[in-house]
Formats: sequence, C-alpha cells, structure tokens
Amino acid sequence: MHSFFTRVNNVSALLSSCTMALLAAITIASLLQEAIYPPQIQGEISMKPVKVFHAKAPRQRRRQEMGFLNFNMTADLTPLFTWNTKQLFLSLEAEYENAQGVNNTIVLWDRIVRRPEDARVNVIGAKNKYAFKEIGGQGFGKGAISGASYALKFNLMPYVGMLRYGEAARISDVPFDVREEL
Amino acid sequence: MSSAIQDYFEGKIDFVGQQRVDEIARIWLFSFTALSFALGFALHSLKISFMLLGSSTVVLCAIVLPAWPMYNKHPVKWLPALKPSGGGTNKSQ
Repeated sequence: MHSFFTRVNNVSALLSSCTMALLAAITIASLLQEAIYPPQIQGEISMKPVKVFHAKAPRQRRRQEMGFLNFNMTADLTPLFTWNTKQLFLSLEAEYENAQGVNNTIVLWDRIVRRPEDARVNVIGAKNKYAFKEIGGQGFGKGAISGASYALKFNLMPYVGMLRYGEAARISDVPFDVREEL
Repeated sequence: MSSAIQDYFEGKIDFVGQQRVDEIARIWLFSFTALSFALGFALHSLKISFMLLGSSTVVLCAIVLPAWPMYNKHPVKWLPALKPSGGGTNKSQ
C-alpha cells in the first residue's frame, strides 16, 4: 500500500473477490428460493389433427411429406421470472415414434421471452415456425405414425447459476390427417 | 522538478497510513457487498445490487487511492546518522 499503484492493485483484487462472493450469494439465494417456493405454472394446448401434405418446399430437392399444425396455446409463466432470470426460451416440441420404432423429438415453434410482462403466452390458430418433416424417414403417411405428443417446454436462463428446464403444457395422441397430393 | 512530479505520482504514505487504508478498504468493501446483496434481494433487482457496488467502489477509490495528507501524519522517525568508524568490518547494504 506504499504507493498509488500498489493501492490500486490491492483494492481491485479485493473488489474482484467481493464481486465473486456477491455472485455466489445470488446463486445460492436463487437455488434456495426455487427449492422452498417452487414456481407453479400452468398451461394448455389444444390442437386440430395435423394435416400432412406431400409437397416440395423452396430450395429442396424432392417432394416430401410435411406436417402443418394449427394450435391454440395458453400458458402463464410469470412465476418463473425472479430477480435472477435473464430470459426464457419456450419451444413447442413434437414427440413421436416413427415406423422404424425410433423416438423422435422435433421443435416446431419457439419464442424468446425477456420480460415478465411478456410471460403470458396466448396464441390462437398458430402455425409451426419450422417445417415438420421426417428427415431420412418414411414420413407420416399411410398410417405409419399413429399420433404425436406436443409439449411446451421452457428453458430458464439465469443471470448467475445453472440453466433450468421444464415443461409447461402437454397434449398427447394428436393424430395425423394425411391428405392427398395437392 | 521531475523528481517532485515523480514523488507526487508515486503517492507514498507512511506505515500507519497504510494500515488505515487497508482497514478502510476491507471494511468498506465487505459491508457494501453485503448491503448490495440485501438491497437487491429486497427490491428484487440485480441492477440495483451492482449499481450500488459500483458507485461505492468509485467513492472508495476517491477516499483510499490518492495520498491524502491524513495518511502522512506519522512519518517514520529516522535515527541520527552514525559517524563512519575507520577500519574493522564494513557492513554493506
């Protein structure tokens, strides 16, 4: 501490240690808060049977079977927003078992939520954002796949701490409605 | 002239002052870290925590970093110089 530069050195080292301690305290407080008061979230999905068409999307080589969703979804995710929440990543995922017996999960719709005011999801008549096709598979047609389950999953990204995953809503056994060629 | 400027920028303080500076910095930072955690937790905002910590650090730098005269109030008392003794062992520094 005998000169200006040694004082700068010492104070900055102390400051880094204190900042680390503050971050650790925030992490532990968040963990305890989630363990003691787990967030109660509820949501609902309703979906019409998924239309399957044999079509070709732009920049695609061959025609392929694609599924088209039409769903309504409501969810209240405000309990997830604590002082340590940076953002929420929501995704609607389809889970099904294809004709070869392989379990597949595909993300069809997603949304990033940054503020607690936007944490209420209310979509009506929404379509899938990403193409619902079986890459390298036999497709949905001719009764190959009986039905799929759709789940609204969330990923909570904190400012400090571990990522958290969870599920807000689920609907099971939505059938495929295979239409003839367009 | 240049040595005066050099001395000014070196910012030397005496030993009692160094002890004081060490104490002040430690106590200040520990208490403001605890305070900023408590305030952020109570007001549910991470921004307030870090803004409080940052502003308290700036104030601490103003108090502790420059060589204020109050840290130089106890200068080292040097003993009077001994007359150099002829012959015998010469301890070199």
